[in-house]
Amino acid sequence: MKILYSWLKDFIDLDLTPEELAGKLTVLGMEVEEIKKTGADFDDIYAAKIVKINAHPNSEKLHLVDLETKDGAKRVVCGAQNIAEGQTVPLANVGSRLGKIYLKPAEIRGVISEGMLCSADELGLAAERQKGIMILDPKIPVGTDVKTLYGKADAIFDVSLTPNRPDLMSHLGIARELSVLLNIPLKKREWKKYKGEGSALKINIHTEDDGCARYTGRIIRGVKNTESPAWMKERLLAMGVNPKNALVDITNYVLFEIGHPMHAFDLNHLEGGEINVRWAQENENFLALDDTQRTLTPQNLVIADGKKAVALAGVMGGKGDSILPETKDIFLEGAYFYPPCINKTSKKFALSTESSQRFERGVDIEGCLNSIEMATALVLEICGGEPSEINDVYPNPYRPAQIEFKPEDLEKILGMEIDRERLKDIFGRLGADLKTSDSGAWLFTPGSYRRDLNHKWDLAEEAARYIGLENLAADGDGTTHATLYFGENPKAVDLGEKFSDALAGLGFYECKNFDFVSQKDLGLFSFSDKTAVEIKNPLADGMEFLRPNLLMSLLKNIALNQNFGRHDLALFEYGKTFSLQKGFPLETFSLGAVMCGKTPREKFFMNPQCKVGFYGLKGAAENILRDFEGVTFQPSKNAPSHMHPKICMDILLNNKKIGFLGQVHPLTLKAYDIKQDVYAFEFDVKNLEKLFDAQQFKKAREISAFPASKRDLSVVIDKNITFDKVRQVLKMAAPDTKYNLIDLYQGSNLPEGKKSITLSFDFISKEKTLTDAEVNKAVEAILAKLKSDLGAELR
Amino acid sequence: MIEELKSKLNLIESNYISKIQACQDLKQLQDLQVAAVGRKGELTELLKSLKDLSLEEKKEFGPLSNALKTKLVSLFEAKTAELETAAINEELNKADLDLTLPSYPFNKGGRHPLAIAQKRMTDILSKLGFVWAHGPFIEDAYHNFDALNIPAHHPARDMQDTFFVKNTNKTDFVLRTHTSGVQIRTMQKQRPPIRIMAPGRVFRKDALDATHSPVFHQIEGLYVDKNVSLADLKRDLTVFMKGLFGKKAEVRFRPSFFPFTEPSVEVDVKCVFCEGKDKNCPVCKGSGWKEMLGAGIVHPNVLRNCNIDPEVYSGYAFGMGVERLAMFSLDIKDIRTFYENDIRILEQF
Repeated sequence: MKILYSWLKDFIDLDLTPEELAGKLTVLGMEVEEIKKTGADFDDIYAAKIVKINAHPNSEKLHLVDLETKDGAKRVVCGAQNIAEGQTVPLANVGSRLGKIYLKPAEIRGVISEGMLCSADELGLAAERQKGIMILDPKIPVGTDVKTLYGKADAIFDVSLTPNRPDLMSHLGIARELSVLLNIPLKKREWKKYKGEGSALKINIHTEDDGCARYTGRIIRGVKNTESPAWMKERLLAMGVNPKNALVDITNYVLFEIGHPMHAFDLNHLEGGEINVRWAQENENFLALDDTQRTLTPQNLVIADGKKAVALAGVMGGKGDSILPETKDIFLEGAYFYPPCINKTSKKFALSTESSQRFERGVDIEGCLNSIEMATALVLEICGGEPSEINDVYPNPYRPAQIEFKPEDLEKILGMEIDRERLKDIFGRLGADLKTSDSGAWLFTPGSYRRDLNHKWDLAEEAARYIGLENLAADGDGTTHATLYFGENPKAVDLGEKFSDALAGLGFYECKNFDFVSQKDLGLFSFSDKTAVEIKNPLADGMEFLRPNLLMSLLKNIALNQNFGRHDLALFEYGKTFSLQKGFPLETFSLGAVMCGKTPREKFFMNPQCKVGFYGLKGAAENILRDFEGVTFQPSKNAPSHMHPKICMDILLNNKKIGFLGQVHPLTLKAYDIKQDVYAFEFDVKNLEKLFDAQQFKKAREISAFPASKRDLSVVIDKNITFDKVRQVLKMAAPDTKYNLIDLYQGSNLPEGKKSITLSFDFISKEKTLTDAEVNKAVEAILAKLKSDLGAELR
Repeated sequence: MIEELKSKLNLIESNYISKIQACQDLKQLQDLQVAAVGRKGELTELLKSLKDLSLEEKKEFGPLSNALKTKLVSLFEAKTAELETAAINEELNKADLDLTLPSYPFNKGGRHPLAIAQKRMTDILSKLGFVWAHGPFIEDAYHNFDALNIPAHHPARDMQDTFFVKNTNKTDFVLRTHTSGVQIRTMQKQRPPIRIMAPGRVFRKDALDATHSPVFHQIEGLYVDKNVSLADLKRDLTVFMKGLFGKKAEVRFRPSFFPFTEPSVEVDVKCVFCEGKDKNCPVCKGSGWKEMLGAGIVHPNVLRNCNIDPEVYSGYAFGMGVERLAMFSLDIKDIRTFYENDIRILEQF
């Protein structure tokens, strides 16, 4: 909202610079987004006439301009392109003041300039909106003090307000606020009151419960709708409103001065001699002032005459009854409409006006009459005319609420001592009434414009604002009152941190994606849109559903990075996945990871041939799940459709599936425009929460004090024996012996259908150093078991 | 006889000492050691004559010969160590490795910048005694709005601002527009004292641009106990801000408005980029201050909605954007950067 400094001064004597005033507004809770200074903030700038424009000897862009000035002929250097001989321009001499700058003598490219021709910007007359040197009216005599052509220095503040304070949406409101803060009186602006003659239109309110609580109106006949006086036009321009004609301008002027939106109808376009405040009919058409035809519903409040809607109540008037320069008789409206109803209409039509912005936050219901009287006085002063009586329909007059509080209550809420005298000043200026009761309680009645004040917490805020939050001690009393207690983190949080840190340590990067996905995404992963959570009002196409898995997001991340030439990726996300079950939306934390391109080992210049592929991601999954007993990996019998049918494993917890791990199906990748193999896993962490307790310390296991003996064993087995079978045999044959698979060979010098595996064992005992004979015996036992169970042959 | 033995002893000593000194080969040294003190070595053989001596002579010759054996053994050991070290050093000197070749390319890996910023915040709040709490993303209108004193006609509840979930049952589900619903869920479960923080994702129907995202992260704080005042809030949040921006950070409190707090404040931090000196600072837009969080004393209606008597207990609450802090602290200028997951950004942190 815009505030003009000089307008404020109609209500309150202020002796602050614009910057100081902005500081006060900030303290009060209003954010000043911009201060625009207007008017003449300069001295000793005089009109001069351009006699001749000569070329500059040392520059193509600069000119030497010969001038006729109040001090005779002068020559200045100027680079502007918009000047011409015969123009009248503002000239600053050495010593002239431009804002905070005093002009110094200057030599430009070897030529002395005896002054400077000024642009509108340099003069701080941004409102002139002229580019280049400001060209003055040629009728202005040479030597005229340019300052006399413009108003005094002024400032326009662009202030952003909180939605609970509609009372601040006017100059009166801001002045009232400053009067409390600065503890200086508010000047009353009195308007001449007219009783009027003859009755106004009949007013019927059909919607008083939730539409219109008060409707006040008056007719003024025989007005002469002229141009508004200059002072009014200037103020409206400062508000960003283009003046139209006196009648329209007056309604706007009242709005900006006291915050009450008004409307004026051309009486001769109103039919039936009555005003009806009613809900619109279904599909009722309405052509508004902005030349837009709108189709209304019974949720929209309208002002109608005897036959038709003539205004979209509180939002915009109708085209048919608008005020024109030739308008002779008018009907003035000052009303109170319920905020939600105006908000609905404004939102529905995306139509936000100065009027709707005030009504939807709540105007002063007691201000209706005053707005009519102020507008009447201005109309009569500027346009003349004969006012009728005022018709004020106000079925349930406002009853002010009294708030009872003790100063100690406010002190307790704020945590500070408050001077009682200052408190009296504040509430004395702030409200309609302040009394004290016999019990020592204070009884405060806020003004009708402050319906946001309802209880002692509201009053504590008022006290804090006017006393200033900067005066609140930041150290409290140095103690925390709370009995501090220990609380555990939610398990999903600790698990998420554990997995995320572990994967980051393994070289994966964490991603964060939107939760929104498209129907196409769902289809690619064979999710039904019946079981996915759908958004009723999605932001954009492709954002209709909440993701049922994380993989669809991670694949998009791969696609993006691939476009920037980054093919070797290891990414993960810890986030929620969503599903709809029996009509209820469910959400659960999941961990998803993808890997593609070359692993570090393949990128290393030594021996890069060996592809890690699937086993790399499997290693990461095993690594982070190592501590969870009961988690196993098994080849999937039915891989999900988005996974490779053969290269996919189920992640199981106590034989119950919690996720998958494997290679992403090439067709799925194609759909995301990914041109390389991708390996992925994803699992639901909910069931792991039971197994995880961040508070629980792990107990140390006893370790052997004796050295290990290493033995390698190469055996030949049938090609179709999976390593899992080997693992099961080893588990029986040597349950406590650690081993690694160090070679797997299927080649020409082996019999058909055979493969060779080389295992490296570490034999160790907790009791003693093992002798060669003992180790050999153990190897023999393993070999025997491999022979008997798997038909293995020593290689 | 004893004299003869003594002179043999002297001969062995001088002979082997000079040979040990001269030896430059580990194998030769080992042979020499066998020849001197091995089982059939010269000195061992000489010691065998001991049995033919008288008791007196044994007493004299025994210690002499043992002393020589000890001396020779230690000389051999010292020389062995010397030659071994020399051999190792010679071997090392043969190494010919280009040390400047590329290293093994471990992936660095890392947490997301938003996770880093959030951790910074939760770490500080943990030290201030706040305990982690969380709640659902899909929230019913009661927890997201009504219980927080946001009336039915409030603009925030509009379809233009809030995502609504299409579901088949009657309950009005929304994607939570703030983390404040966690306040309600916590207070419904737990009696004061309550001191929680609730970081997490929130959703607003804002079109995606450089400073707006339909998905973003907040961190919520709530403290409810007897006698909690605005001064407590100011103290704790000043500590929090100084924890985030350094001990010298300047903090400003401004009155503001939120439906769920009364009084309400906003907290600004002096711009760390220009310190309020640059009228054209792109970070604070010349105002010198950067808005960081919203806070206030918990509205009595909110406490009442959770069956906590506002005449007995009071509390403060605050909410802060994680993206805002991350953009400000990590110098990320476009909020979309966080959700693109471009590895060239991720690997920087």
